[in-house]
Amino acid sequence: MAKQFKSLHPIKFYRDYLNQNVRPDGRLLSKFRPVIVNTGSIATADGSALVRIGKTTVICGIKAELAQPKAEKPKEGFLICNVDLPPLCSSKFRPGPPSDLAQVTTRFVADLILNSGCIHLRDLCILKEKLVWCLYADLICLDYDGCLIDACLLALLTALKTVKLPSVDYDVAIDKKVVNEDEKKSILIYNTPVSTTYAIFEDKIITDPTAEEEDLSSGLITIVVKEKELCSVHKPGGSPISEEKLYDCIQETIKRADLLNTLINTAISEQTH
Amino acid sequence: MNVIDDNNLLMRKVNCKLDILSRPDGSVLLSQGDTVVIAGVYGPIEVKTQKMLINKASVETFYRPKSGTPGIGDRLYESIIQNICETSLVSALYPRSSIVVIIQEMQNYGGIISCAVNACCFALLNSGIDMKFLVASASCALDDKGVFHLDPDKLLSDKAKANFVFVFDNIAKRIIASHTSGSFNLAQYEEALELCKKACDAIFDFYKTKMKNEIANKV
Amino acid sequence: MPNDNRRINGPENTLSYRLFSNSNPHSNVQKKIKDIFKNNTRPSERNFSEQRKIFLKCGVVSQAKGSAYFEVDNTKVIVSVYDPREIPKKTDYSLKGELYCVFKFAPFSCPTRRGYQQDAEEKQNSAILKRALESAVCRHKFPNFQVDVYVLVLENDGSALSAAITAAGVALAQAGIPMYDTITAATLGVQGSHKIVDPNLEEETLCNVAVYKNEGEKKYESHGIIILSMLSTHEQVSELYQTGNLSLDTINAAINILSKATKEIVPLVEKCLVNHVTKNLKTDVED
Repeated sequence: MAKQFKSLHPIKFYRDYLNQNVRPDGRLLSKFRPVIVNTGSIATADGSALVRIGKTTVICGIKAELAQPKAEKPKEGFLICNVDLPPLCSSKFRPGPPSDLAQVTTRFVADLILNSGCIHLRDLCILKEKLVWCLYADLICLDYDGCLIDACLLALLTALKTVKLPSVDYDVAIDKKVVNEDEKKSILIYNTPVSTTYAIFEDKIITDPTAEEEDLSSGLITIVVKEKELCSVHKPGGSPISEEKLYDCIQETIKRADLLNTLINTAISEQTH
Repeated sequence: MNVIDDNNLLMRKVNCKLDILSRPDGSVLLSQGDTVVIAGVYGPIEVKTQKMLINKASVETFYRPKSGTPGIGDRLYESIIQNICETSLVSALYPRSSIVVIIQEMQNYGGIISCAVNACCFALLNSGIDMKFLVASASCALDDKGVFHLDPDKLLSDKAKANFVFVFDNIAKRIIASHTSGSFNLAQYEEALELCKKACDAIFDFYKTKMKNEIANKV
Repeated sequence: MPNDNRRINGPENTLSYRLFSNSNPHSNVQKKIKDIFKNNTRPSERNFSEQRKIFLKCGVVSQAKGSAYFEVDNTKVIVSVYDPREIPKKTDYSLKGELYCVFKFAPFSCPTRRGYQQDAEEKQNSAILKRALESAVCRHKFPNFQVDVYVLVLENDGSALSAAITAAGVALAQAGIPMYDTITAATLGVQGSHKIVDPNLEEETLCNVAVYKNEGEKKYESHGIIILSMLSTHEQVSELYQTGNLSLDTINAAINILSKATKEIVPLVEKCLVNHVTKNLKTDVED
């Protein structure tokens, strides 16, 4: 009976649950889903991570290539990150060029990484004006069940921390590059921005929503925190909310950031051992 | 427009001209300092069968940059404006139809999102489509010394430690949208929010006087 | 590369650092091939007819109707299958349903970086996948509808296409798409008289190289790669794909080896599906 009711009146079905302060998957309103972080799963990539938030799965592979720097920024390397939502991850997406959601998420994640200063592009310089590293970070969603940005950021940061770059000897005079793959070094990551997403459903705030909850909700809020500092409070439209509720979400996110940080660090230390 | 007596907290001059285009149902040219956008609204109009919603109008937004084809940065603006329009319009009044909002960027000297949102609201007012509430947007920047600048131009916001854009409604003055870049703490965020809220009040007043004049002229 | 305004584009002309590596794997292909002949061992130190260990799991993508994850050593493939849907932009009625297959390598899956758009190899693989699966699916049961099969190779360490076919078969079965039989596939690399079952990436590249039979003689050793997919109970071949330069005898021998190899995978596929069904039954009963 519940199944039929759900498909006929999805909003009412959901509201009935929320009035009892519980969600259809058994979580309380402010309860997070379990998070799993796995590193180094892709050997062909120079850094990689797989993240699961509940059922949402995102894999990040970083490939390092050699490039010439831009004339206006001769000392800076490149970090090119793209979010891909292939039709494989959900029936919402069709084959072809990236969907609007993929484009918006790509822009948001890329802006955030540059703004937060978690990586200094100058560290990627090999020789000024001549040779720099270009890191291609590809984030692919394998299972789309909400909180895409959270999973993407977590996967990207973990993958960046596992990147190992070989040493390069570059002889400018004869334009000869020799890459020594035996000497690999990590890159410096200065801080770790992590995010939490909330959904607004009528007058309630729901933490860490699933794809179903995101669809039913009337707005999303994503808050990004790095080391006790705020990095972004992103509410792209949707139902209006009061300041108090927004501040509650921010406090909640700051609390959770520590947990996510430990998770990333444990995953990385487990790989090195 | 002066919100508070402080040079940093001065808004750039806002100017607007309604009914600038003849074909759309509502149109406006809005300038905030040197940032200029044109917004046009068509609606309610016929909808493609794929996008038809049986219980409400489908809202489509297009953000066109000054030159070239829209990139992914423009898509981010587009999605924010789309979400704002969807919440502010009473789309349930126009089932099986479509409302199209087109924003054309003319000149960008900072604060383009705010300018686009305000222009969008103006154009919707001009078109006469029913709205639940009006929206207004304001931006501010936080510099390295911890000083706030309201409605910064491009130079200021490029140098700033953090930039904030807020969108409020005119009834309960609640937050509809928030978009930030850079890093800041909670206290700074609260301050930026209060500042932009005050600026938005000024914009709501501006809407009112402008519309009053417009109607008086027509009569 | 044309500028893609739906993604963030990197700088022009970036090169993989492996090209300049002091341990460049491309330089000593000939030497490695000679080693195979001389020592009678393959680079991966397995027996010539030995397959790598397979890990297979279905139901990995929660949003999909059916899905499977296939891992054999470092080759990692994920497949998802969606409900039949109406064929878009179709005017005439087709009696048989269609399979829409997309085979894609992830950008980071190979030693050199892959593009976002499907390249010729990926399109070719999609077509092979489609041909292989079509004869295993009862297409007359869903006329005028199409079933989407999406394959993503997360990491390629050889035999990715045969892995994709086997995994797609499992995903289709889990999705409840009517099928005649379980379908399994295997890859064989041939270099000279050596037939290498389930080659890894290094062995695959070795098998794609033409080597002279004798110094100075303009005759090549037979070399190439063969992929065979099989419907197990009916013992029917649904697809045979071959590249390179092979003699008829070699192909005949290869089919025997490969059909044996595909049979070895069948119990694994069956076990995977049975496990999935029993697990689901248990949760249904508990509910």
